[in-house]
Amino acid sequence: MFELCTDVSNLKELKQGDFSAYDAIYLGDFSCPEYPNNFSSHPALLEEGLQLVKSRGQKAYLRLYAVPSNHDLPWVAEVIDAALKLPFDALEVHNLGLLRVLREKGCKLPIHLGVFGNLYTHETAKVLKGYGVTRVYPNPELSLKEIAYIADNAPIEVLVPVHGKIPLVISETCFIMEHCDATKQPADGSCSYACTKDHWLKRGRNDGSQADWSLKDIGRMTLSGKDLCMVEYPENLLEMGFRVFYVQNKGEAPGYAGKVGAIYRAALERAAAGQEAADVAPALTALTDCSQEGLCNGYYFEGAGQRYFGRV
Amino acid sequence: MTKLLAPAGSLEMACVAVDEGADVIYMGPLGFSRRPYESEMSDAAIREATAYARAKGVEARVVLNTFPSPFEYSQFLDKARQFADMGVSGFIVTDVGALPALRRLLPETVLHVSIGSGISNAADADFYRAVGADVIILPYRWGIDEVAAVRRHSDIGLEVFLFETVQTGKICPGKCIMSSYLRFRDWLEIEGKDHFYGSANRGAKECYRVCQTTWEFGVPGETSVELKLRRDARLMLAQLPEFMAAGVSCFKLSGRERPVAMIRDLVRFYRKAIDTVLGGADNLDSFTDELAELRGRWVHEKRIRVDTLMDRAKHYAT
Repeated sequence: MFELCTDVSNLKELKQGDFSAYDAIYLGDFSCPEYPNNFSSHPALLEEGLQLVKSRGQKAYLRLYAVPSNHDLPWVAEVIDAALKLPFDALEVHNLGLLRVLREKGCKLPIHLGVFGNLYTHETAKVLKGYGVTRVYPNPELSLKEIAYIADNAPIEVLVPVHGKIPLVISETCFIMEHCDATKQPADGSCSYACTKDHWLKRGRNDGSQADWSLKDIGRMTLSGKDLCMVEYPENLLEMGFRVFYVQNKGEAPGYAGKVGAIYRAALERAAAGQEAADVAPALTALTDCSQEGLCNGYYFEGAGQRYFGRV
Repeated sequence: MTKLLAPAGSLEMACVAVDEGADVIYMGPLGFSRRPYESEMSDAAIREATAYARAKGVEARVVLNTFPSPFEYSQFLDKARQFADMGVSGFIVTDVGALPALRRLLPETVLHVSIGSGISNAADADFYRAVGADVIILPYRWGIDEVAAVRRHSDIGLEVFLFETVQTGKICPGKCIMSSYLRFRDWLEIEGKDHFYGSANRGAKECYRVCQTTWEFGVPGETSVELKLRRDARLMLAQLPEFMAAGVSCFKLSGRERPVAMIRDLVRFYRKAIDTVLGGADNLDSFTDELAELRGRWVHEKRIRVDTLMDRAKHYAT
């Protein structure tokens, strides 16, 4: 009918969180190998994580590090080797060089292209299909019409994010470590895990002299300040032929994925059953309460990413 | 053979770059080259610039490095064929799908992978070679070890910007959509498009360089710091001998949006420097003073540019 999926970075979060609303879980934080016990950089933890997800009747996908340098390729290869021995349902790749690595290793698992794979066109989807890519996460700058065109004109499944902060930038170094108080950091330069606190980039607050901008920073990745929200549009999304939906969980507080997932599970099931849409106002209120900076529609309706074109 | 690639943000700049010794000029057509229209060129101007360059033995490349919309893909390929018919010898592209498509359409053309592709390792070189690229551009931040690692790994052509930078901050060409998340404007008639296609990554809408303005950064409730999101890159020189020895074949000067006089002086400077290395020199210390002066001018012009973009961003709707 449809698949609702989200992401979980490590075993602790997987054990403690409520992910019962989801059909599938993307395991790992693709942005930061240093994140504690990150599935994406700890091959020894993959089997336990995979078994836990499978025991819940869900599919398990493994996220690979998004921006590997030459120095990272050996350890990423170890993660791949471990993953290929396990019954993951797919591997998620952002870096195109890793597609070559997977081919050389004889990977038979389906491959999903991640958000930083820069999928903008059906022609690119066709090329990637030749590398074993079966699902793509379109670049967030695409409109719904463009995503539908890609789905219709390339033999590939598209993932449609429906809620959560939009990944905007990824870099190879940690912005939080570079700018937090040096006296609070380990002398050996190792990670101080300062990202366990929320960090925000803000500009123009209160004085009216500049644009009022807000972004959330989690170290090696910057996210939109506002949460993408498509809870008003489940019927439209299904009518357009989309069947895979995603809630972005990375960088959120415990409990976020559970609350948001339950709302979207109910909305999508109602729409899929052809039932009349319920009053969306309570859901919007609950989702607004979960957000720190409010809601947006991303680029889906052809505007700058932080706009909200709500019907309510 | 080592080539100096120079920007042509206008017909005048194209002619100046040719006259000052560029081996290759590159030009962006309206709506397809990740620059505002002021730094792009009409098809007629590209035709004229190409003819001028070819008459003097200089190659012309066209920058088609937007991620085109799926809806404009045939237009994108038609543009490439049109420019090839004018005598353009190659293209600088970002979209992966465009590489094999252009290779099929124009088998003899030279295909450069744009900085917007976000190459980060040697395995990327394998990927892009396999899908039809002739040249990849390497990240600003790479030193000689990284360059040499790719050279050992692949026979693909290597291109570097004439920039150097530190490896901190949000340095992520091709992996950033901050600007369009915050602001963008409607198309202008002159850009030849009247439809939504998103951002600087996708056409003539501007990247507002929001990474280069000041932000407040910190944990809510604690003291914040004021900062830019990345350090500015600066003009590079000392690395030229070792990069050339390591097999870098193309050195690219940025600056289609800079004043023509600045590009004139930079092309002249780097022509001399490259020829000096080709003549056997292994250090360029004699160029130090001239480099310092050019770096100062570059920073001054860049500051003006960023201020202009931020001023525009304030006035466009979200």
